[in-house]
Amino acid sequence: MSLFIEFRRDLLIALVGLVVLIAIGLGIDHAWPRDFLTSIFAAALLAMSLNMLIGYTGLVSFGHAAFFALGGYIFGLLLQSPAFTGALGAGSVPVALVAAVIGTGVYSVVIGAICVRLTEIYFAFLTLAFQMFLYSVILSWVDLTGGDQGLMGGIPRPVFLGIDLADQYHRYVFCAVLFVACVMIMRIMTESPFGYTLRMIRDNATRAAFLGVNVTRVKLICFVVSSSIASVGGVILTLFTSGAYPEWAFWAQSGEAIFMIMLGGLNVFLGPVLGAVVLRILNDVVQMYTSHTEIVIGVVIMFVVLGLRRGILDFVKDWWVEKQQARLAAENRNGQE
Amino acid sequence: MKKTSPRSRPGMDRRTVLKGAAAVAAVGTAVTGFPAYLKAAGKPIKIGMPTILSGRVAILGESSVASAKNEIRKINEAGGIEGRMLELVTRDSRAKPDEAARMTRDLVNNEGCDIIIDAEASGASFAVNEVVRDMKQFCIHTNSETSSLTADPKNQVEWVFRSCRQGIHDAVGGGLVAAKVAKAKGLKRWATVSPDYAYGRANTAEFMEYVKLFAPETEVITETWPKLFQPDYTENVTALLNAQPDAVYSCLWGGDLVAFFDQASLYGLFDQFTAFAVNLGDYPVLTAIKSRPAGVYSGSRYHKDVPNTPENEAWYDNFMANSNVLPTNWAWQNAAAINFVAEALKKTGGDTDTMKMAEATSGLTINSPFGVDGTLTIREEDHTLVNYMVGYSKTIVDEPYVVDFDRTAWSEIYTHEAEWKKRNGYM
Amino acid sequence: MFDFDALAACMSTSACLVNQATSGLIIGMLLFLVASGVTLIFGVLHVINFAHGSFYMVGAYFAYTAYVVTGNYFLAALVGAVGAGICGILFERLIISRVYGQNLLMQLLVCYAFILIVDDLVKIIWGAEYLAMGIPAEFRLPPFRIAGGYVPPFYLFLVAVAVCIGVGSVLLVTKTRFGKIVRAAALNAPMVSALGIRVNIYFALLFGYGCALAGVAGALAAPVRSLTPGMGLGILVESFIVTVIGGMGSIPGAFLAAIILGLTRSIGSVGFPLFVDGAMFMIMALVLIFRPTGLMGQGEPR
Repeated sequence: MSLFIEFRRDLLIALVGLVVLIAIGLGIDHAWPRDFLTSIFAAALLAMSLNMLIGYTGLVSFGHAAFFALGGYIFGLLLQSPAFTGALGAGSVPVALVAAVIGTGVYSVVIGAICVRLTEIYFAFLTLAFQMFLYSVILSWVDLTGGDQGLMGGIPRPVFLGIDLADQYHRYVFCAVLFVACVMIMRIMTESPFGYTLRMIRDNATRAAFLGVNVTRVKLICFVVSSSIASVGGVILTLFTSGAYPEWAFWAQSGEAIFMIMLGGLNVFLGPVLGAVVLRILNDVVQMYTSHTEIVIGVVIMFVVLGLRRGILDFVKDWWVEKQQARLAAENRNGQE
Repeated sequence: MKKTSPRSRPGMDRRTVLKGAAAVAAVGTAVTGFPAYLKAAGKPIKIGMPTILSGRVAILGESSVASAKNEIRKINEAGGIEGRMLELVTRDSRAKPDEAARMTRDLVNNEGCDIIIDAEASGASFAVNEVVRDMKQFCIHTNSETSSLTADPKNQVEWVFRSCRQGIHDAVGGGLVAAKVAKAKGLKRWATVSPDYAYGRANTAEFMEYVKLFAPETEVITETWPKLFQPDYTENVTALLNAQPDAVYSCLWGGDLVAFFDQASLYGLFDQFTAFAVNLGDYPVLTAIKSRPAGVYSGSRYHKDVPNTPENEAWYDNFMANSNVLPTNWAWQNAAAINFVAEALKKTGGDTDTMKMAEATSGLTINSPFGVDGTLTIREEDHTLVNYMVGYSKTIVDEPYVVDFDRTAWSEIYTHEAEWKKRNGYM
Repeated sequence: MFDFDALAACMSTSACLVNQATSGLIIGMLLFLVASGVTLIFGVLHVINFAHGSFYMVGAYFAYTAYVVTGNYFLAALVGAVGAGICGILFERLIISRVYGQNLLMQLLVCYAFILIVDDLVKIIWGAEYLAMGIPAEFRLPPFRIAGGYVPPFYLFLVAVAVCIGVGSVLLVTKTRFGKIVRAAALNAPMVSALGIRVNIYFALLFGYGCALAGVAGALAAPVRSLTPGMGLGILVESFIVTVIGGMGSIPGAFLAAIILGLTRSIGSVGFPLFVDGAMFMIMALVLIFRPTGLMGQGEPR
């Protein structure tokens, strides 16, 4: 209950956000905003959950997409199994969703326990190694995963509680709710005392340890939570594409999430979402005018890194803080006169 | 920058303002996407084509686009369909299945495309297949040769077709030719070197299955599976050397095949055994390989002499005159797809309604330079292309690079394909 | 998944042993050349050049064009190396030097942008089609037979060049005045520049040298590998595995790791053909878990 009161404003904003998202999706008589936003939900959950590690805890992971892919594959594989849908019937989708999150969580406990002992590039490369290992397994285990062709033949989505995920409106609202719920969980995580412990570890792990923080355990909890949330992103993309593909576990997918974070800003909670939107729009708009998409995106990234030297929202935030300080300084001067 | 944070009233805390800014940015960007949609309400019939235009297979995507554009140009110069022009809109998926899925949705929803020509390779084509199933959108696959895409009932969709080779057809053809050669030359011990992914595995298994069927004394003594886009094939070449087979089969393709041939030549591989390479006969591959060995059996891809008709010669000359890339297997397949679309549109009177187009395309036969007797057909029962050129040629060092085309009769292919379908439980 | 019979059969014949051992060495040496550039740059400048694969590609394309124009392969290889080196110096001066000391992600991001731009530029300049240089006339000889195995002369040349360059790189860093200045500057740049040495130039030269190594690898690969835009990506990942296993910053480590990886590939292609990539990442994970600094890396994991 106290959580409710403490985060009432965030909850309210989240609720308003959800209403706006649903209004956009249902109010506009065109599939494009729904498609666009659904793919953003998936990408943004991957990027935001990764930012819990990168931005808040200072753990640069190169292998986060493994959990994204794992969530998608568990969800898709369960629903494609006639035994599973037969036994659970209408409950299939929610159970598959929970199983995807828990399954990914358990996997991430194992991987995380090994990885979080390392820091910086060693952590980065170890997560990369595990991700590519999973990628190889997905590619090699053709009987189960379909290898490079991914999960074929569509993913059945039995109706539950009147929700039919084969219907694009239902699917969109379902994905929007999942997205906002996950964002809220991350918000509470990062703004709670736990979140400040994460920041302390990022800024100075040794000092945190002296203060009695079990650094390894806290890092592991963060790792597991962020991996589980990434798996929800995978579930959304699985619903959206009606399949799951090994490319989701490829390092390039993790790379893209990192670019979204860096583009949007890693010190602002919603920075990764903006990054995801900007990258997508950039990609789509550039595609309309030229086939040389790579060169344009490359130049834009170069500009952000070398020109702004930080993410877009980080830039805005710094600019805003500076302006405020200038104003305060001016007021002080005026007061003295 | 500029006015990103609106109404920066004192008292509102930073966090809230930032959220507002983010929301404004999101809405702003959402709006910028719309002009394209409004723009799409014009007159021409739009054909959307997701394909691969970057990375190592870009050449194939580029030849697909060039070929489709060239056919559309011809149709438009002849007055279009019912007075309406055709227009091609392409998207680069970078061979990523989820990008291909998203691009396809975008082409329909945002660009207002009436027809989808799916020019993706294997993995991504399955993703597009699910999207068009979901959206109830008329679509022709033009580049994925994986047999199960149209043969397996679980992938079949009433309004989706395929206008390209199918692995099993080439396998029967290859098996027949290879068995003939095996008997004549006494090739009993076979080895394979094919890319380790669905197409490579399925294609190789099918080919060897038919070699064994037609020449029962043959056996496969070793298989080596390089990864797709593997830069170096040394370990695969030496694996073949160790096994000392009589003959080698490979379904490597594109740049991978070029690299494999140059690396294998270093070891004198082609002096030691007879080689069959189904994907060798494509112009960009044949022209790129520097140590082009003679006497390698090469599957039919696209060649100006196959079929050896004035129509094909004319198509080749026209393509070369209007394109800056070489014609590939993907090029003729996309040209054929555009011709099928145009023919179906004529039948529907320019109506692009999914079900009407599906009905018009199913079982459709068109005149085409690529067909065996000047025609190509999209078979009604499984919506896939038949009556194209299947067979093997032999390489020579200089132009025209391949000679002695040995064509497989479609009656043979039909018989064995039907048996294969039964074995796999597809019918 | 594992085929121990095939492996045992191979191990028991000298021909197979020679073939697989040499092919492991050949694969390993090109990897080593690329990885030694990565590790050299990291060891001294403490930046990770994620764009290293692009210099491999650029080297290959430059060598291709030079070969087409002059017909001299050795000259072409030199052009590839020098061209990649010059590109490296420009990249360092204009881009990477601006993110020295910044976090890892900034470096990653500029490198990614650079990769995208270079890939597209290559496509614009040379086209998307596959290019192949072909074996130069000097090396169009039948393979040597050693104990029943086959060894192509060109690959002997390739291995010899790689080993010489590897030894040269170690000597350059440890023994020459250039190496000493660069190492000193890496430890304390203000101090070194106070001695009247223009540190920036030394950093740029070292970076260029690292890129030239990738360029040489590209030029050596050009006769036998097909050239396409994006060809640098595949070798990039493998060269990072080599760098990490060997120890970031250690050239002998990279050499050892490259041979281990090459042999994994060549033996794996006989014994576990479908899990070669998985095995490589497994080795990398094991090394990171039990010896995070790599086989021959120094110092504590930070």
